[in-house]
Amino acid sequence: MNKLKKNKNDSFFSSAVKLSSNHLLAIEGMEKSEIQKLIERADYFANLDRHTNTKVLQGYVVLNVFFENSTRTRVSFELAARRLGAEVINISLINSSIKKGESLLDTASTLNAMRPDLLIVRHPHSGAPLLFADYLNCSIINAGDGRHEHPTQALLDALTIKRRVGYLEGLKISICGDIANSRVARSNIHLLTTMGAEVRCVAPCTLMPSNLENLGVKCFSNMKMGIRDADVVMLLRLQNERMTGTENPSEREYFKFFGLDEAKLALANSNAVIMHPGPMNRGVEIASALADDTNRSLIKTQVEMGVAVRMSIIEALNHTKNKMMKN
Amino acid sequence: MTFTVLKSIKVLNPKTSFNEISDVVVCSDKIFSICKDFKTEVSQQDKQINIYNCNGLTMSPGLIDMRVNIGKTENLTATQKIAAENGITSMVILPNQTPKLNNPSIIDHIKRQSENPNLTKVNIYGAATKDDQGLEMSEIGLMSEMGSIGFTNGNKSIKNSLVMRRLMSYAAMINRPIIQHAEDEDLSGLNKASTTLINGEMNEGEVSTRLGLIGIPSCAEVIIVERDIRLAKLTGASYHVAHISTRDSINVIREAKKIGLKVTCDTAPPYFALNETSLLSYNTAFKLSPPLRNEDDRLAVIEGIQDGTIDAIASDHRARSKDTKAQPFSAASVGASGIETLFLMTLELVHKKIIDLNKAISLLTINPANVLNMKKPSLEKDELADFIIFDENYPNVINQNNLKTSPTPFDQRKIKGKILGTYINGQATYINQILKDKIIK
Repeated sequence: MNKLKKNKNDSFFSSAVKLSSNHLLAIEGMEKSEIQKLIERADYFANLDRHTNTKVLQGYVVLNVFFENSTRTRVSFELAARRLGAEVINISLINSSIKKGESLLDTASTLNAMRPDLLIVRHPHSGAPLLFADYLNCSIINAGDGRHEHPTQALLDALTIKRRVGYLEGLKISICGDIANSRVARSNIHLLTTMGAEVRCVAPCTLMPSNLENLGVKCFSNMKMGIRDADVVMLLRLQNERMTGTENPSEREYFKFFGLDEAKLALANSNAVIMHPGPMNRGVEIASALADDTNRSLIKTQVEMGVAVRMSIIEALNHTKNKMMKN
Repeated sequence: MTFTVLKSIKVLNPKTSFNEISDVVVCSDKIFSICKDFKTEVSQQDKQINIYNCNGLTMSPGLIDMRVNIGKTENLTATQKIAAENGITSMVILPNQTPKLNNPSIIDHIKRQSENPNLTKVNIYGAATKDDQGLEMSEIGLMSEMGSIGFTNGNKSIKNSLVMRRLMSYAAMINRPIIQHAEDEDLSGLNKASTTLINGEMNEGEVSTRLGLIGIPSCAEVIIVERDIRLAKLTGASYHVAHISTRDSINVIREAKKIGLKVTCDTAPPYFALNETSLLSYNTAFKLSPPLRNEDDRLAVIEGIQDGTIDAIASDHRARSKDTKAQPFSAASVGASGIETLFLMTLELVHKKIIDLNKAISLLTINPANVLNMKKPSLEKDELADFIIFDENYPNVINQNNLKTSPTPFDQRKIKGKILGTYINGQATYINQILKDKIIK
């Protein structure tokens, strides 16, 4: 019995993805083949019965270090790591190290001294995980840094689309909302354009970052035009503090022009699906009924796919490290 | 009496356009003679004579660095020493210090504290307004009696138009320039009092979009420059824009000069040598104010230097501790060291054939003196012996590990040139071993 289990694990291990880096810091710069393999591997995990033994990373220590509030991402990473048999320690550092006056690098090197295999970092400052990767010797996964990237979200979004539609290449995908401040948007732009999708970005001009078209997307400030014939409508969260002030006059004005409702959705492809990285503001980005429309909304599937994608990444990083050590 | 004889040195003196290989003799604090072939016998009765064979070396007036920040952790005397080692014989410090240089007694204090015949001379910009709010004029008349050579709010813009108008009028009356850090702080999101949520971190454009950093539009500079030029016209003031960095501002200054306004500007090496793409790795050594701009702006700075729209090059030295730079980009401090690379980076313009050596030296010597109404340095008989000796073709690499201040934005840059000696008041404040080895007698 034991032997059988071991063999099973061996074959399971052989298909782990080898990455070109020890870390997953950003989608920008990743090879198409690498993305493809990670998605395929995640698809495999998503199809597995939840009770299948996938505990190949026993003794592997993961620190989930969050400098910013998060529920879904933290839990998703934790579940993924646990399903692979890893030990997970959650550390919430929201304001705590700042209060003590400790520098970020001191905090990081303290954690590093405990010899984790993997540090999963979410930080409010763009580029912070790169700093960790420069100074620490464990693998780093960027779980969202400032306005920069949220690579695992883009991978899980890609997996969600792929499972529903079957492919990414040539799809018309409209990303709508606060593009300027969204790391989800940036990672998705890089991933989807790399995979050959036609990406459009829709945002009020106050929330559209400059020269975005240089990233290979089309930009729209008119949502009706931006989602015309779209196969996927991806909505972004509008932070509370941006709902009024100088970026938007009011919630209701935002909903009128940039919230997804039946009328606007009717302009998209008749099979178009709706996505949202969550947490969503019902009645601001999306009409509540649409969010719950299981035929169109993939919002819950996205959450489910999160675990599978993160399993494939954690497994890949471990595999990559082992390969690098052997060489 | 000690004589120092520098044999066969190329003397470059922008004030008189003198550019010939000569023998230079220094005695006490003055230049004793500049001649074709100095006969050592003339002074043999004197007790001591040092002769250096300076074949292949160049001599120019000591550099004037018109913009140096002395940070919280920096010591003025130490900075003077480092400046001297890098060819700067005179520097102007900004008022943004703790405590602020905003009253006559502190100007007097700093003047006295920094007085040392063997170190880089320190000039001071007084704070134009009493505090950061920028609403009350400092005692700029009294401060100028104590030796302030100009007035500025240093790293902050003088924001209020009425305050600026009055400052200009008053400064014109006492014949002092107003030096502006031109940045619309509302637009760049740096105005703490405003309700905006942003805090500009770098130049706005594709790079800021990719990095997810908050962009400062380049027009934040020209908006202030344009306004100020109108006020300079109204008041007749001498107005100087520090560390100019955009094409639009340079164009506006070019036009202002054409119509005869007393408007000048300087830039700093990062703005002609680097652009925003340096930030792509989030390297905080490139977090500067104004931010590194795009390539077109960089080219405009070079054109401005070439056609004389840009009067001077300053180091814009703002050294920062490693602790404040080893941070995520958003949390890192702003600024980089400059006094150790000012000369070398300006010389790079010569090696790249953008300007000639005479022009390069002018930008670092008589031009800043002109802008600030300082005595123009000159290498002539009986002039004060403040000068530098350098090898313009010495193969060199800027290496952070060999520098005394950090961070340099030019780490690992291959350049040519080296300062071999700095004389201040006739004294060899700094002599490199290479020059020491050239002593004949």
